Amino acid sequence: MDTQWPRYEVFKQDRPGEPHESVGTVHAVDAEMALQNGRDLFARRPKCHSLWVARADAITSKTAEQLAADDAWQADIDLEAPTETYLVFQKQTERRGMTFTTHVGEVEASSPAHALQQAITTFPAEQVFVWWVCPATAVTRSEEADTLPMFAPAKDKLFRLPNQYRTVFTMQKIKRGKDVIE
Amino acid sequence: MNTNHQTALAQKLLFLADDELILAHRNSEWTGHGPILEEDIAFTNIALDEMGHAATWHRLRQELTGEDVDTAVFFRDPAAYRNVQLVELPHGDWAFSMLRQYLFDVYELVHLAQLATSSYRPLAEAAAKIRVEEIYHLRHTAAWVTRLGLGTAESHQRMQTTLDTLWPYAQQLFVNLPEDEALGEMGMAVSPSSLLEEWQHLTTTHLTQANLIIPTNHMPPTTDRADHTDHLTSLLAEMQSVARQYPTAVW
Repeated sequence: MDTQWPRYEVFKQDRPGEPHESVGTVHAVDAEMALQNGRDLFARRPKCHSLWVARADAITSKTAEQLAADDAWQADIDLEAPTETYLVFQKQTERRGMTFTTHVGEVEASSPAHALQQAITTFPAEQVFVWWVCPATAVTRSEEADTLPMFAPAKDKLFRLPNQYRTVFTMQKIKRGKDVIE
Repeated sequence: MNTNHQTALAQKLLFLADDELILAHRNSEWTGHGPILEEDIAFTNIALDEMGHAATWHRLRQELTGEDVDTAVFFRDPAAYRNVQLVELPHGDWAFSMLRQYLFDVYELVHLAQLATSSYRPLAEAAAKIRVEEIYHLRHTAAWVTRLGLGTAESHQRMQTTLDTLWPYAQQLFVNLPEDEALGEMGMAVSPSSLLEEWQHLTTTHLTQANLIIPTNHMPPTTDRADHTDHLTSLLAEMQSVARQYPTAVW
């Protein structure tokens, strides 16, 4: 039996107006705790304005290769079924180490496969390595009022910066054979 | 500020610093031992924040007394520490540490809101800044209290047992001490007893929603901050061991 708590994908927005980017996953018992764990893991040191979390099993992920291989993934799309809003994310580059996919917008769709189909036509891009779609109802977002207590304190914490420690300097002195204990 | 007021203020800052420092140390004992990795990091962050707050209060005290912060922390004997007994108790199980931190967080938020209006400006500014971090601490520990209180039969039982233990200890935070009168006259700090009603209202509401029963024992084991359990002695022996062994080391 899997005793791990559910996995949530964490999306971080660095500044207002910029897109949310997936930065990693956390385990959590529910969305509120996922938001808090996301804050502690991914937003305590780097800049952050807003966080979203979504249960990993609510996200449908397809690589460009999977989408191109055949049309089977589109087989069961029911255009008559009721629709809901899906968030669309793209992995646009292989060059960035700290983020995986970037939020590009929303589509209305009746299923994840339908959302993928809509996403591909709505958000064309030169290169997309991976597509993610996720129902908007599965996403929990930090609120504007959270920005100060959740994300602001880290800005003033100079001890988070490596140059606040004399370790490097002290090690250099030790290597030069100097007695650092005065 | 006359000498009496300055002495009282320095003493108050020592109360604030010691509560935060000892609680931070107890919480830091969870580092590497948290129930899951994410929580290990979250609670270590909280410990680090509290340690930072202790440093802030100690620096303000140093401005008044001239006593070096490291000396005050690492070369002071248990009998000279002025923390409440609540924070020196061993960390216990996860319910114990979460509930203790929760009870302390509510107290801090209520207290800091008042200290932020202190007539002693450095104190008011520090309180306003620290308060922002405490909002997040409370959100985290309050969430755990709810989940453990309403969780399984075992988690609920552990929470209730812990609450019965900690409730009287928490009352010591609201005991007025001789310093408080002078500080009150100067508008530097409100008396601890004036914070009790709001603390009691906030904690009672939240704990009751978590299906926990508020204990009837409101008698703190001691009203004297100079009075400690043996747990503080062993805590300080460990915390101070490196500094005392290498008193001239730099870091």
